[in-house]
Amino acid sequence: MINDKNSQKIVDIIQNWSRKHSIWVLAYGTGCGAIEIPPTMTSRYDAERLGVRGAATPRQADVLLITGYLTTKTLKRVIRVYEQMQDPKYVIGFGSCTINGGMYYDSYNTIKVLDKYLPVDVYINGCMPRPEAVLAGFGKLQQLIAEGKANGATKYKENLEWYRGNQKKIIPNWVMPEYNW
Amino acid sequence: MNMQEIKENLITHVKANFPEAAEKEFDGNRLDFNVDKQCIPSILTYLKDRLGYIHLSHIACVDWLEEGEFEIIFIVWSPEEKMKVFIRTRIDREKPVMPNIDMIWRQANTYERELREMFGVEFIGLEAPDEFLLEDWGGPPPMRRDFDTEAYADDTFWHRPGREDALDVREEIIRRSREEIPDFAKKYSR
Ligand code: SF4
Repeated sequence: MINDKNSQKIVDIIQNWSRKHSIWVLAYGTGCGAIEIPPTMTSRYDAERLGVRGAATPRQADVLLITGYLTTKTLKRVIRVYEQMQDPKYVIGFGSCTINGGMYYDSYNTIKVLDKYLPVDVYINGCMPRPEAVLAGFGKLQQLIAEGKANGATKYKENLEWYRGNQKKIIPNWVMPEYNW
Repeated sequence: MNMQEIKENLITHVKANFPEAAEKEFDGNRLDFNVDKQCIPSILTYLKDRLGYIHLSHIACVDWLEEGEFEIIFIVWSPEEKMKVFIRTRIDREKPVMPNIDMIWRQANTYERELREMFGVEFIGLEAPDEFLLEDWGGPPPMRRDFDTEAYADDTFWHRPGREDALDVREEIIRRSREEIPDFAKKYSR
């Protein structure tokens, strides 16, 4: 066990350094933006050279990409997926729909502000963002991880009540399992 | 047979069995019939079993708000004659009730569920779970024209501040290209 503060710091630096270079993205796309993921991953932009690659299940993944508008119906699934993911976990909001509703600002069925429901570490704007922008977003996330500032998951744990309240406001029939942290 | 003969043949056949059906011809391979809503199952069965219109392409609903009516449209297609037939009917908007046709085409069930949810049209005897696309929906049917989607979104969801000063670029585009705004579009200008 390491107890003294300085060695903990060193461990953190090493931990963050290694986390930063293995960002596994959950292969789960919502909205239209998921169509930009294949070009980002494949040979032309080749995100894997930065350590960004796909993961098949929530438990193996580090990053949840919200690639566009979220209907209230999808939001349920997304919350569930997010809660199944294990630490460390990060959320990237992708496209203007996650930021302020985008062109669906007056839609009756999509949420407008993602960070009321899930803690977002990085937003990438654009409708939809091009692979360069996506890579820039991942670069920003890596930088935040290295600095130890990408702490959305901690925020979520500490303010669970607030997030739950917001989530339950638009999902009145809450029949989801509660995950133990 | 060419298209015109097919159409005439079809009209004669349908008229012989459903004298009150009002036909309307269109260019190309399209023909419309306006019928009473009670005739819907029988005319569709007739088209399917006797005349070869075996494919149900779509069931649609049009909201005639000003006239207080819904128009339900069934589109059927004959792969042999390459002809599509629209069967139209008007129903009351206050109490929209339709006969169910999912015993004629099984897939009609999906369309009927959608119309039930989006327009509030009730299909008598439709057996399907209540929820289709909208989960936990509390508002009025959202595809009705008197449903104000923006007001609903305003009091259901949060908006991030900062959209208020968005510019109406339409004026500028029109100034540059010297076009006219059509009348119906004017009310959408800010
Ligand atoms: S931001 Fe644009 S591309 Fe992305 S989901 Fe919204 S409308 Fe689609």
